[in-house]
Amino acid sequence: MEVLERIFNIALIAATLRTTAPILLVSLGGTFTTKAGIFNIGLEGQMLLGAFFAVLGSIWTQSALGGVLIGVTASVVVAGIFSLFVVTLRANEVVVGLALNLLAGGLTITLTKAIFGTRGSIVSGDIVGMPRIELPVIHDLGPLGQMLSGFTPLVYLSFAMVFVVWLILYRTRIGLHIRVTGEKPAAAEALGISTAAMQHIASLFCGVLAGLAGAHLSLGYITMFAENMSSGRGFMAVAVLIFSNGDPVRVLFGCLLFGFADALSLRLQTFGLSSYLVLTVPYLVTLAALFALTYRQRPKLFRETAETLSLIRRRQA
Amino acid sequence: MTFAIEMTGVTKRFGAVVANRNVSFGVRQGEIHALVGENGAGKTTLMNVLFGLVQPDEGTIRINGQTVVMDSPRRAIALGLGMVHQHFKLVPSLTVAENIFLGMEIVRGGLIDRKAQSEKTRQISAEFGLKVDPDRRVSELSVGIEQRVEILKVLARGAKIVILDEPTAVLTPQESRELFRILRRFADAGMTVIFISHHLSEVMEVSDTVTVLRDGAVVGTRPTRELNEDELVRMMVGRNVNFDRRPRKAISGRTVIELKEICARDARGVLALRDVNLTVRSGEIVGIVGVDGNGQTELAEVIAGLRAPSHGEIAVNGITIAESHPRAMREAGLAHVPADRLARGVDASASISANILMGRQYAQPWAGRGLIRWGRVREFARGLIKRFDIRARNEKTLVKTLSGGNMQKVVVAREFSRETPFLLVDQPTRGVDIGAMERIHDEIMLKRDQGAAILLISVQIDEVLALADRILVMFAGRISGEVDPEKTTEDEIGLLMAGGAERPRAAA
Repeated sequence: MEVLERIFNIALIAATLRTTAPILLVSLGGTFTTKAGIFNIGLEGQMLLGAFFAVLGSIWTQSALGGVLIGVTASVVVAGIFSLFVVTLRANEVVVGLALNLLAGGLTITLTKAIFGTRGSIVSGDIVGMPRIELPVIHDLGPLGQMLSGFTPLVYLSFAMVFVVWLILYRTRIGLHIRVTGEKPAAAEALGISTAAMQHIASLFCGVLAGLAGAHLSLGYITMFAENMSSGRGFMAVAVLIFSNGDPVRVLFGCLLFGFADALSLRLQTFGLSSYLVLTVPYLVTLAALFALTYRQRPKLFRETAETLSLIRRRQA
Repeated sequence: MTFAIEMTGVTKRFGAVVANRNVSFGVRQGEIHALVGENGAGKTTLMNVLFGLVQPDEGTIRINGQTVVMDSPRRAIALGLGMVHQHFKLVPSLTVAENIFLGMEIVRGGLIDRKAQSEKTRQISAEFGLKVDPDRRVSELSVGIEQRVEILKVLARGAKIVILDEPTAVLTPQESRELFRILRRFADAGMTVIFISHHLSEVMEVSDTVTVLRDGAVVGTRPTRELNEDELVRMMVGRNVNFDRRPRKAISGRTVIELKEICARDARGVLALRDVNLTVRSGEIVGIVGVDGNGQTELAEVIAGLRAPSHGEIAVNGITIAESHPRAMREAGLAHVPADRLARGVDASASISANILMGRQYAQPWAGRGLIRWGRVREFARGLIKRFDIRARNEKTLVKTLSGGNMQKVVVAREFSRETPFLLVDQPTRGVDIGAMERIHDEIMLKRDQGAAILLISVQIDEVLALADRILVMFAGRISGEVDPEKTTEDEIGLLMAGGAERPRAAA
């Protein structure tokens, strides 16, 4: 019992919110492409480049905001290249997405070596990380208040974005047009809505949020860049998007689940469990969630019982 | 006389195919103008030219006397044209109002003003007498209501000239009649209506003027009251076609197939067949009619072994089929002409002989020692091409290069040549021209007279009326009635198709 209490406490909730933020941001980015009918497997690469250039920008501009902006710009450029190939040149979206993921992985390693002369990671005192915001009133509300206070701005932003993205998708003209593009392109084209333009816009929106997610990774709680530091979060986002069909609220719950698994695995590491085993936790959760969701949707073979049959008959009579 | 629309010398080629050949026709303001012709006569292409969806190679278009270049649907809409496509372009997850205002949303403060859109929709729907609920999702609507939404979409954009492409293809007779009343009101209010159809009875019923197209050219434009159906058919096909009931002698054979208490669920788990009982005897054609989506698809799938019933049993020649599997059904004596020939009828990228082989590849004499005897298959295919009048260069021709009618003949040839006691024939003439249709009907009648038991499912009521010995009407997953084709009327069938006295429900 004591062990369980040490694992499951308020700190774990705080850690969950923190680890949820990057997956949530990148998944919310993906809602745009998902709703526009693009299967965007390139989220991972966009996020990784965002993280790398955020560090670079932070060193150059000596400000966290500058770092975030440059990180976002980099990932928007990649998103633009992605939609150029997929929408304008009609290339296969999975192939392009995978190619950009591989490119992001290689490019960040190469640039790290070229610029810093190191391998694997960029650690430097020159990197300016994001400040933590102590919410003045809430902080004084006891343990619960402390749990909700003291995060970086991007954590608050990520949860606020759930509502913003929902508002854009379901209440604005551009959101409506993006959804129609994904659901029934023929209807959009017949009314003079350019589906290509909508898909480009969706991809760029996605780039912005993926870049923010990357910046959170490298300038949030640890101020460094490490090789492949997105570590599959972009792919988890793809999984979340498939479960949630791009609905922002369902995306939130999916991401909280993954964030929790992430936080739990971090916590378990402090208990001296083999880190190799512990690091599999988020992926096991992914698999379990996939199984649970598809298990419910599996094709069922129905048999009518004597009871239902008599019901059918009675209704007919 | 003012013409709302005047097309002069319109020619449109697609590669070597001439879809429209020097077409000239005019539509007067305030009339209902029917555009008729066989499949492939060029009706849809002509309307696409008029609506700016395709550009003509030659010819001019005048709208209300003004020569215009229709370079896009946007221009057509701006000139007061509206088109209701055969396949609706509605977004299922959006509401009626959202669909109507899609592309011209009412925006307030950056957000869509959904209240104003619903209000406006209510206004327009009251103005034109087209009742809809603006806040219902389109996915919950029946096809008839969906069409109403499409029409409202056109009206909301200020259309004075409404083009409808095969508007009645998906409607029950009652819904069609309601549509005609609406169109008549439009015309009385000074609007112009063009509708494309190949249902001659409704053309006679509703239109003021008829233009007939054949092989891409205009055969003639005539006031409807100077025409009768026979003349129309002659204009369409250039010869007389027999729409009457096929002559037959009474055969009363033994029961070949029997369905007992069949229930089945669709992919979503919704009950699609509710306690269906039917028998088909040898030498008998049983017709099944109903509005699309009332269980006919599931019924065909259950009989073909493609869908396991959730209750009930099927017996062929008195032997109950234990396992629901296509091969089990076929070996028990089923031949199946599926409704969607491209999905289940043929492998379009394979040759005619390969398609003829399909389903026989296990058996002697087509295969032996694990190898297929292609020589025999090809020889057999050559014979079928001749017997079924399949228009193809030879048996190696790829099926995808054939026209719809000839593709269907390949399916019919393969299935009918299996000499099975039971035939399931689903939409045998969907999208085929009249020549191929007659040919297929001849083969069905021949099979009947040879003593086969035939279950014919069709959305074409006249087809079933012409061929069937008994007609079963399906509604909401059950058999809502049986009628005698010798005595029944389209009205009686229509009423049963709509569920008796009930209003037609959402079928999808």
